[in-house]
Amino acid sequence: MENIALALEEFARPAVLLALVVGSVWGTVAGALPGIGTVAALIVALPFTFGMSTEASIGLFMGIYVSSVYGGSISAILINTPGTPQSAATVLDGYPMAKAGKADLAIGWATLASLVGGVFSLIVLIVAAPILARVSIAFGPAAIFAIIVFALTCIAWVSTGSTIKGLLAGMIGLFLTTIGPDDLTGYTRFDFGQPALMGGLSLIPVLIGIFALSEVFHRAAFYFAAKAPDVTNVGFRMPPRREVLVRVPQFLRASIIGTFVGILPGTGATAATFVSYSELRRTSPRSDNFGKGEPDGLIASEASNNAVTGGALIPTLALGIPGDGGTVVLLGVLTIQGLTPGFDLAQNNPHILTGAFLLILIANLIMFGLGVLGARIFARILSMPEPVLMAFILVFSIVGAFVVRGNHVDILICAIAGVAGVILRFAKYPVAPIVIGMALGATFEGKLRQGLISADGNVVEFLSDPIALSILGATFLFVLVSLVRLLSKGADSA
Amino acid sequence: MKRLVTSLIVGGGLALGATAALAEYPERTINMLVPFGAGGGTDVPARFFASEMEQILGQNIVISNVDGAGGTIGATQLSQADADGYNLGFMPVGTTTTQPHLKRTSYNADSWTPICMVSQGPFYLVVAEDSAIQSIEDYVARANGDGVKFAGAGPGSMAHVAQLTVDNALGVTTRYIPTRGGGDIATEINGGRADATAWFADFGTRFGWRALAILSDQRSDAHPDVPTMAELGHDAQVSVWFGFFTQAGTPDEIVATLSNACAQAVATDSFQENMAGANRLIRYMGTEEFGPFFREAYELNGQLLEEAGLVQ
Repeated sequence: MENIALALEEFARPAVLLALVVGSVWGTVAGALPGIGTVAALIVALPFTFGMSTEASIGLFMGIYVSSVYGGSISAILINTPGTPQSAATVLDGYPMAKAGKADLAIGWATLASLVGGVFSLIVLIVAAPILARVSIAFGPAAIFAIIVFALTCIAWVSTGSTIKGLLAGMIGLFLTTIGPDDLTGYTRFDFGQPALMGGLSLIPVLIGIFALSEVFHRAAFYFAAKAPDVTNVGFRMPPRREVLVRVPQFLRASIIGTFVGILPGTGATAATFVSYSELRRTSPRSDNFGKGEPDGLIASEASNNAVTGGALIPTLALGIPGDGGTVVLLGVLTIQGLTPGFDLAQNNPHILTGAFLLILIANLIMFGLGVLGARIFARILSMPEPVLMAFILVFSIVGAFVVRGNHVDILICAIAGVAGVILRFAKYPVAPIVIGMALGATFEGKLRQGLISADGNVVEFLSDPIALSILGATFLFVLVSLVRLLSKGADSA
Repeated sequence: MKRLVTSLIVGGGLALGATAALAEYPERTINMLVPFGAGGGTDVPARFFASEMEQILGQNIVISNVDGAGGTIGATQLSQADADGYNLGFMPVGTTTTQPHLKRTSYNADSWTPICMVSQGPFYLVVAEDSAIQSIEDYVARANGDGVKFAGAGPGSMAHVAQLTVDNALGVTTRYIPTRGGGDIATEINGGRADATAWFADFGTRFGWRALAILSDQRSDAHPDVPTMAELGHDAQVSVWFGFFTQAGTPDEIVATLSNACAQAVATDSFQENMAGANRLIRYMGTEEFGPFFREAYELNGQLLEEAGLVQ
C-alpha cells in the first residue's frame, strides 16, 4: 500500500502524464507508418530522455512501447501492409475484412483486442512477475528450441492457398537468417565476400520490402489496369457486444499465448502472433472463415502481440534480461537514468515498478482512445490520391529500413526484398511464412547449437529436458492429428 | 588611394578570416559513430561522453548507431570516412582489438588514431548466488572434476578472452558455452545450466550473482571485499574498455583539440555523476598513453585468439 502511495506521488504528475500521452501518440503514428516499428520509434525518442526525469522517461517509453504494437495494425488493415512485424499476422484477416467494406469494424476489433491483450498481460505482470521470471529461466536452450519447432509448424496454418508454397516460403525465411555472422562460431556465412552482407539481414528491412514496397509496386503495376481495392467505411466501430461475448475464449487464449511467449527471452511478439493465429484457427468453431476476414483472426494477432508487452517486461524488470527488441532499448533508458533493472530494482525500488505498471495501464487506455479518435484521421489519410499515399509509404519504407541499424545497405536489401515480394505475389506464394522463418530462424539455430555444445554434442542429453520433451511430443501429436484429419477429409470428398 | 586602402583592409580581413576558419576546428556538426545499438552497453557511456564534448567543443554532436557483426560494420564505415575530425567513433575493446583478428575486416590497428580511453570496467569471475563454488579453489576443483561450463557471448568475445585467460592462469580447462550474449548468459547461469561467466560490476545488483575474484591488478571500490586474481596467486587481468577514436591521418591540431576536450569531458561533475549512476567506471588515458596501450592490446588479443585457434 505504502508502495502504491509512493508510486502515485512520484508518477502521478503532469509532466509524467504528458510524456505518456506524447509517447502514446508517437507510438501509434510510428507503428502505423510502414517501416517505423517499435524499436525504431524508441530509438528516435531515446535522446530526449536525457533532459527528463526518471518517471517521465519511463512514461514516454511505456507509451511508445505499448501503442506502437497497436499502431501496426492500422496500416495492416487499411493498406495491406503491417506497420510493424508484430502485426504481420493482422494482415491475414484484417485486410480481407476491410476490402469487404468493414474497415471500421476491423479497426474496432483490433483496438479492442489490443486493449484486452495489453491489460491481461499487465495483470499477469503485477500478480505473478517474480514467479514467472523464475519460469522464464527454467526454459533452457532445448525447451526454447522445442517451442520454436512448434511455432514453425504454424506456417502450415497461416499459408493461405498452397501449403507447399507456404512451407517453401518459410524455408526461404529460415535460410535468410543464416546469412551473416554466425553467433556461435564468429564466422561469417553466405556473404559472398560482400561487406554489405557481413552483418546479416535484419528482419525489418526485409519485412518492409516484402510487404510495404511490394504493395507499392503491385499497385503501381495495376494503377491503370484495374481499380484499386476499395477500402470504404474507414473509421471506428465497436464490435457488437454479442459477437464479443461469443469470442471470450479466443480473447483469453490469444492473451495467454502472447503473455507466455513474451516471457521467454528471444522469441518475441512476431512469433507469438503466428502461434496464436494458428492455435485459434485450429480450435475456433469459425475456423473455416479464417483468412477471409474472421474477427477471431484479428483477435489472435492483436491480443497476443499486445500481451507480449507485459510478458516481455517480466524478465526485463525482474531479472534484467530483456524479453524482446523493445525492452533492450528500455533497459538502456533505465541505465541512463541511473537505475539497474533486475535484482536490485525489484528489491529496493519497488515503487518504480509499481509506477511503471500504472503507466502501462494508462498507456493501454490512451491507446484505445487514440484508436477511437484517430479513426477519422486514418480515413482522411486514406482519401489521399493513391499515388500520393504510395509515395508516402515509399519514403517511410526507406527511412524505416535505414533507421534500424543505421546501415545504408539495408535500403538496398529492402528494395531487393520488395521486388522479390512482387514476384512471390504473382506466383501466388504467401509471404507471411517468410516473416515467421526470419523471426525465428536465428533463435532456432542458436538454441539448438548452444544446447548441443553444452551437452557436448550428445543429442540424447540435449533432449533429456522434460519441458523440451513434452513440447516436442505435443508438436508431434498436433501434426499427426492434423494430417489424419486432412487425409480423412480427402477420403470423404473422394 | 582611399579605395586602395579600403580594399587592402577588406582583402586582409578576408585573408585573416580564411586562416581563422581553417584553424577553428570544429566549425560544424560532428558525427560520432557507435558501432552498437541505441541504449546498449557501448551506447550509454557514448551518449554521456558526447553531451559533455558538445559543451566543450561548442558544436552539436550527432550519435549514429551502426549495429551489427560485433561492431565491425560500424567500425568499417568509420575507418573509410574522411579523416577531417568530423567523423569520430566511440568503440569498445572488442571491436577494435579482437574482431579484426576474428573476421576479415578491412581495418586494423593502423586504421586509427586513438584519442583517449574514456571508460574501463574490469571483469569479475562470477557464479550464481546459490552455486556450490565458493572460491577459486572450488572453481579449480570443479574444473578438474565434473567440469565447469563457462557461458559467454560468441567465440572471440571479451567473455571468451576472459575464459581463456583465467584457464591459462589457473592451469585448467573449462568448457565455453557460446550464447547470443547479454540476457542469454544470465538465463543460463540463473537457470543452473552454466556455472560461471565473466561480468561487470553490476553482477550483484542486476542478476544477484556472487564474484569469486576480480580480473584486475587492484580491488575495486564498488566491491572492496572481492579479491584480485593476483592476491590469490594467479595473474589474470581482463577488462572491457571504451575509447574515443578517429581515423589514422587526422591532422595533428585536430587530434590535439579532441584530446584536450576529452580530458576536460571525463573530469566534469555531470559526466562522473552519470557514469556512477549507470554503474560504469571512468578510466581516462590521454593520447600519449592510450596509443601504445591500444597497440599492445591489439597484439596481445591477437596472440591469445590465435592460440585458441580462433583466427581465420
